[in-house]
Amino acid sequence: MPYKFRGGVHPDYMKAPDEPVIVVTPPPQVIIPMAQHIGAPCQPLVAVGDYVTMGQKIGENPAPVSAPVHSPVSGKVVAVEPRPHPLGDMIMAVVIENDYQDTPCTDMAPLTEEELKNPEAILARLREAGIVGMGGAMFPTAFKIRGGLGKVDTLIINGAECEPYLNGDHWTMRLHPEELLKGIELARIASGLDKAYYGIEKNKMDAIELLNSKNPAQYGVEIVPEEVKYPQGAEKMQIKAITNREVKPGGLPAGVGCNVVSTQTAYAIYKACYLGIPCYERILTVGGSAINKPYNLQCRVGTPFRYIVEQCGGFVKTPKKIVLGGPMMGLIATSLDAVNIKGTAGILFFTEEEDRTVENPTCIRCGKCITVCPMGLEPVYMYMYFKKGDFENMKKYHILDCFECGSCSFNCPGRMPLTHSFKTAKLLFAAKAAEEKARAEAAAKEAEKK
Amino acid sequence: MIQKEYTFDASYQPQVRTKTDTSRVMLDVIIGLAPAMIFAVWQFGFKALALIAVSVVASVFFEWGYRKLMKKPNSIGDLSACVTGILLVLCMPVDAPLWMPVVGAFFAIVIVKQLYGGIGKNFLNPALAGRAFLFFSWTSTMTKWTIDGVTMATPLSILKAGGDVTASGFDLMQMFTGIGLPGSLGEVSAAALLIGGIWLLARKVINWRIPVAFIGTVAVLTFIFPRGGYSNVDWMLYNLLSGGLFLGAIFMATDYSSSPVTLNGQLLYGFGCGALTVLIRYFGGFPEGVSFAILIMNLCAWAIDKGTRGRQFGVTKEDLKAAKKAAKEAKA
Repeated sequence: MPYKFRGGVHPDYMKAPDEPVIVVTPPPQVIIPMAQHIGAPCQPLVAVGDYVTMGQKIGENPAPVSAPVHSPVSGKVVAVEPRPHPLGDMIMAVVIENDYQDTPCTDMAPLTEEELKNPEAILARLREAGIVGMGGAMFPTAFKIRGGLGKVDTLIINGAECEPYLNGDHWTMRLHPEELLKGIELARIASGLDKAYYGIEKNKMDAIELLNSKNPAQYGVEIVPEEVKYPQGAEKMQIKAITNREVKPGGLPAGVGCNVVSTQTAYAIYKACYLGIPCYERILTVGGSAINKPYNLQCRVGTPFRYIVEQCGGFVKTPKKIVLGGPMMGLIATSLDAVNIKGTAGILFFTEEEDRTVENPTCIRCGKCITVCPMGLEPVYMYMYFKKGDFENMKKYHILDCFECGSCSFNCPGRMPLTHSFKTAKLLFAAKAAEEKARAEAAAKEAEKK
Repeated sequence: MIQKEYTFDASYQPQVRTKTDTSRVMLDVIIGLAPAMIFAVWQFGFKALALIAVSVVASVFFEWGYRKLMKKPNSIGDLSACVTGILLVLCMPVDAPLWMPVVGAFFAIVIVKQLYGGIGKNFLNPALAGRAFLFFSWTSTMTKWTIDGVTMATPLSILKAGGDVTASGFDLMQMFTGIGLPGSLGEVSAAALLIGGIWLLARKVINWRIPVAFIGTVAVLTFIFPRGGYSNVDWMLYNLLSGGLFLGAIFMATDYSSSPVTLNGQLLYGFGCGALTVLIRYFGGFPEGVSFAILIMNLCAWAIDKGTRGRQFGVTKEDLKAAKKAAKEAKA
C-alpha cells in the first residue's frame, strides 16, 4: 500500500495512450548537442569529414559528472559547430549527414553472463553508454548509483508519469515489459540491493497487470500501484509514496537511503547491457492543440523539431509555444531548429487555446496555493516577500525548498506567476551568493596585501 | 520539411492552469447564496428583491467608478463586488429604506475594499464592515424586524432577555427552515444557508475548517454553559439556529482576504470567531455577536497566519526542536 503525500493537483490529463508508437525514420541530417546531461559538457571526438557508425561515441568528457554522447545514425560528419540547443543558447554540436545504412558500431559488445551480475561492470557500461535520467533531469545514472552505494537501501523506479499529455513511459511498459524488468534488475544489482520498487500510477492498470504477469519477483522487483495525483512522479513524492520517508529540505534522496531511476532509463540500461546499444533513442510524446496528429514517437536523439512536426502531420493551428517535457514542469524552447535530446519526454505545441494567462493577475488570498503545495510551503507569502525583494523573509518562508512542480500556479484562480517567481528568486539568491563570495575573496586578497 | 518560420513565446511555467479562475470562484459563491436569496424574496416579498438589486448595482457601480476615477484596471468582471453587495444586503432588515444599502455599499466597496487596493487586499470583510457602519449609524432601523409589516422579536433577543422561545411561538423545525422567522434577509433560513455551504464545499471554494470550527465552538460552549433554565441541548440548538451564525460561519468568516490562509490558522480563527460570538451573546450589549466576532478575528488574521505555519515536507517535530535549541545556544 503506497503512502500518500499532502497537496497536489489533478490537471486534465489529456493523455492519448492509444495513439500508436510510430518509429520515426531518422532525418537526413542529425544534430547531436554535446550537452545532454547535467555536468561537464562533452568534447567532440570527431572532425568534419569523418565517417561515423551508428552507436559510435562522438563526444566525451573525463569529468566524473558527465556522460558521453553517441551517433544515432551512420554517415559523414558535416559540421562541428554551435547549434541551437532545445533549452536555448547555442551549444557545440556534431552534425551528421545520414547515409541511411544504419551501419552498427561494434565498439560496445553485449555484457557477458558474468558481467551482467557484476555491479562494477554494469556501472562501467552505464557510463560508457551515456545513460542519463531520461525523465527529464538528465543526471548521469552511473554517477547517481555509484554515489548511493553504501547509503542507499531502497531503489525506486519511477513509472508515475504524472505529467499531462506524456505517455512514453506507459508505452515502454506495454511494448517492452520483460526488457524493462531486466533493466530494473541490472540497476538493482548495480546498486547492490535485493529488491527494487516500481511505482506506477493507477491510471496505467493495463501496464501494471502486464508487468505483474511477467513475474517481477524473479527480477527482484515489486510493482507498487500509486494514487493518481500530480506531482506523484516527483522524486521526493515517489520516495514518500514507497518508503514513507521524507527527503530533508536541501537534502538528497540518498540522504534518506533512496535512489530513483525513471522508466525509460531502466529500458536504456537493458539495451546498453544486454544488446550493447548506447543511449541514442527514446519514446517521446508529441501533442498540443497545434499538432495535426498527436503521436508517440520512437525517435532518435538529434532530430530537429521541424522534422518531428512533419511526422505528425504538421500544424493545424499557429503554434505559440514549444514545451519540452510535460506542461507542468516542462521548459520552453523557442526554435523549431532545436533537436530532441536524451531527456526530452515530450514536445508539446500549444496555441492560445491552452493559454490561461490574464492581463492583470491578482491574488485574492484564497490560500489554494497552500492546500496544494506538496512541500508544505506558503506560496502566497513567498510571492509577497519576493515582490518586496525581502530576501530574509523569502528564506524564512523556504523559497529555496520549492522544487517548482507548478501546482500552486496551476491552481491559482488569480493566475499569479507563482512558480515562475520562485524560480527567479532562486536565481537571485544564487547571484547574491556569488556576489558575496566574490566580495569576500576580494576582501581576503586585500587583507593579504596588507 | 516545414519551411514556414514561426515565432514562439517564452512564457511562464506551468503551461497549463485550472479552469477555475477568480470570477468562477465568485460565481460559485453567488450560486451558493442563491437559496438564501430566493428564500428571502419568498418570505419577505418584493421589497427584499428590490433591496438585493439596489445593493448589487450600487456595489458594482462603486467598484467600477472608483477604479475608473483612479485609472486602475476595471475589476467588476471578477464578480467580487457583486458578492459583497449580496452579503451586505443579506444582513439588513426588510424594512430598511432603499437608499441604505447604497450607503453601506459605498462604505464597503470604497472605504474598506478599494482604499486598501481592492480584491485580496482588504483586511476586513467589506460586507460586514458596511453592515457595522449602518448598524451604528441607524441602529433602530437596523434592528427592527418585521414580517408582513408586523414587528416581531427575534429568537435571539428573546434568549438574551431570558425569555422562553417556545412560548413565543418558535419551534426548532421552524428555526431550521426559517419559515415565519423574523430576522435579516439572509440569516433566517439555516437550511438554505447549509445548502449553499455544501455547494461551496463541493466546488472547493472553501474548506471545512473555518465553518466547522466556528459553529462547533459555539455548539460546545453553549452546550456546556446553558442559561435561562433551558436544557443543555435546547439551549445549544436555539443558539445555533438563531441569529446570523450560519450566514457568518459559512459565507462571511470564509471571506478570502480577511481570513487566515494557513490550514491550522483557519481552525484557530474559527475557534476565535465561535468563542467571541458566545462571549458577546452572553455578556455584550447586543443580542447578536457573530458580525463583531468576525470583524475582530479579521484583525487577527495576519498574526494567526504568522503563528500557524504548516509543517514543511521533510521536517519533523524533532528537527524543529533541534533547530530551536541550536538557535538558543547560538544566542547564548
